[in-house]
Amino acid sequence: MRRVLAHPSLVIGLAGTLLFAVIGLLSMVWTPYPIEQIVVARRFLPPSPEHWLGTDNLGRDMASLVMAGTYTSFLVAAIAVAIGAGIGVPLGLAAAAWGGAVEWLVLRLSDFVFAFPAIVVAILITALIGPGAVNAIVAIGIFNIPVFARVARGGALSIATLDFVAAGRLAGLGNAAIAYRHLLPNIMSLIIVQGTIQLSLGILSEAGLSYVGLGTQPPETSLGLMLRDAQGVFLIHPWLTLVPGLCIVLIVIALNIAGDGLRDAIDPRLRQGETHVAS
Amino acid sequence: MSLLEVKNLAVRFGPWAAVAEISFALAAGERFGIVGESGSGKTLTAMAITGLLPDGAIAEGSILIDGTPLPQDERSMARLRGKRIGMVFQEPMTALNPLMRVEEQIEEAITLNRSDGAPLDVPHLLEEVGLEPRHGQRFPHQLSGGQRQRVMIAMALAGQPDLLIADEPTSALDLITQRRILDLIAEICERRQMALLFISHDLKAVAALCTRVAVMQKGRLVETGATEAIFAAPGQDYTRKLVAASRFEPRSEGRSRKAETLVEIEKVTRDYRQGGVLPWGNKPLRAVDGVSFSIHAGECLALVGPSGCGKTTLAKIIVGLDTASSGAVRLEGVSYRGRDLPKSLRRDVSLVFQDPFGSFNPRMTIAGSLGEPLRLERGLTPDTLRERVQLAIAAVGLEPSMLARYPHEFSGGQRQRLAIARALVTRPKLVVLDEPVSALDVSVRGEVLALLARLQAEFGLTYLIISHDLDMVRAMADRVLVMEAGRMVEEGGPHEIFARPQHRLTQELVTARLPEIA
Repeated sequence: MRRVLAHPSLVIGLAGTLLFAVIGLLSMVWTPYPIEQIVVARRFLPPSPEHWLGTDNLGRDMASLVMAGTYTSFLVAAIAVAIGAGIGVPLGLAAAAWGGAVEWLVLRLSDFVFAFPAIVVAILITALIGPGAVNAIVAIGIFNIPVFARVARGGALSIATLDFVAAGRLAGLGNAAIAYRHLLPNIMSLIIVQGTIQLSLGILSEAGLSYVGLGTQPPETSLGLMLRDAQGVFLIHPWLTLVPGLCIVLIVIALNIAGDGLRDAIDPRLRQGETHVAS
Repeated sequence: MSLLEVKNLAVRFGPWAAVAEISFALAAGERFGIVGESGSGKTLTAMAITGLLPDGAIAEGSILIDGTPLPQDERSMARLRGKRIGMVFQEPMTALNPLMRVEEQIEEAITLNRSDGAPLDVPHLLEEVGLEPRHGQRFPHQLSGGQRQRVMIAMALAGQPDLLIADEPTSALDLITQRRILDLIAEICERRQMALLFISHDLKAVAALCTRVAVMQKGRLVETGATEAIFAAPGQDYTRKLVAASRFEPRSEGRSRKAETLVEIEKVTRDYRQGGVLPWGNKPLRAVDGVSFSIHAGECLALVGPSGCGKTTLAKIIVGLDTASSGAVRLEGVSYRGRDLPKSLRRDVSLVFQDPFGSFNPRMTIAGSLGEPLRLERGLTPDTLRERVQLAIAAVGLEPSMLARYPHEFSGGQRQRLAIARALVTRPKLVVLDEPVSALDVSVRGEVLALLARLQAEFGLTYLIISHDLDMVRAMADRVLVMEAGRMVEEGGPHEIFARPQHRLTQELVTARLPEIA
């Protein structure tokens, strides 16, 4: 714990991330106003004690929208990271542990997926089953798979040459057991750091997908969707665009700082008095 | 006046002094050695003299060269390093630029240190370090380890320094090359009247090269004096311990040796396909070439040869980590080619790795690592499993309470004991030891070898030792096989082989041995 606190950027980044996560989670149980409540009479109100961040073009409470939007962004990005890591890491480990044809297949597969940006996958899914938050999750998740597969394979390859892996083989462990017992625990730190980076990229992607109309659909909301709704009145009411835009920027910066700090905290070369094999 | 004078040198990392109270003087043309085990601070001392300390390290005390203190600014320090002090490092591959031909690198060293003295040219320097002009055309990766170290020496000589600092220059090299490089350094120092500061953990190398020696322990100087005097009659307990540890006591004879054959190796060949997409492109590299021999039950067989002769590949095939291209290994009548070693037989062979630091998973407790090979035995209850692991750790002289710890909490010697415990936990018949002590400090080598000898007697083990250390082999082995370029070239008892070597390689190996100290 002291090691974590020794990195100020990690503390700042994690604090920022947690703050937004708590705000988002809070929206599940409580928002100042229901986000679907449209009251045209009170539209375009400036910030006031009743409406902390004002109201939008439909008279919805901006603070409530930001809370719900943050929640959607985090949820989409987190599930996408889980999908990416859940499928990508085993693929990468399999490539490193088996080698040969398995490795070739995994690498070509990830090349193939890499060739399609998340937006193209999202368009494809939308064309098939229509837009929605779930499609954004699937699209970003698929995009995450090759990223995690490559990180896992790279880390595992450098571990696989070490003697304790050979010792495991001597003890009769198969490839799967080697990957699970010896490779995975030693690349966990790499995966966690990559996870924070993909989380911030996922939030950006979700905002982008919602902005072009392929992600979250009304009456649900997300930060990207709020940007889209506000862009038509940007010149008259810039505040409505600035609030969700700044939220996205702050969340992404907080996550990136946390990811950098995490890498510094975990990086064995910066750690004193403890040897680590991934160096 | 002395060429180099170090007074009360201390190197600190924050409040912790890694090196303290170091004082010595070096006269012009003198050859001075610093001996110590890993972590004793000998390299930090050399770095402090050359002003190359790592970030965060602070040097205190005074270092005088010809009576003048070291300059403070980096620029004049860099000039001083080139012209007055030459340096040779341990690992020549990382010290040379891989993208430059070596003659360009030597040329660069000459231009940077141009002095008014006699002009130097690259062919001249190459000749001085025993290389031919054609070697200058090559890139570092096209040279052998010994040749690379010669290039490093040529670069150090480019500024015509008065002092050469050599930090473990031969510990990455094999025996024959080591001897040649040491002879070269001695010859050059003699010819140029150059002072030498030689840093090593190897007492024999220091004894062969230096006239005066300092012994370091835990950042302090323990003893300084004439080499012969110190090694013949050490004044301090620590020095006495080091001197005793650098000699291997031959094992007492009279172990029960059964005549039955445990393992038979029949015409084993291992080819590695070299890079290239086309299967018919490059000729495959033959690491092991039609080797046949047998290992008798209860004996200790040593496999000796220079680096790259295929001895480790052969060991991997025997324990089932690699597969032979042709030929077979027969263990207790069952024939296999390597990885196809049947699971029921895997528990009968085990391997102790060379590097005790890489052979344990840092995220697993010692109990987890030691218990792993017991998966090969079916139907063990958790209780018997724990008992077997405890027996194994007790057998190597460590406490069962250490089982809950993680590898980084142990020293190199302890880890090697744990590696031996892991190798023994399945109660194998054959244990293959790949350079079992070469990564360890001198003072613990003796203990580990004694442990191996005791375990052999206790459990009736058969050892296959792979090494290039002839003194260790002579102390341990019953029979010696000499390998060169994948072939077996000589076989015999250790005493006959070392007294009357027949093959050219064996003769070279025997003459390359450094003389016993004192």
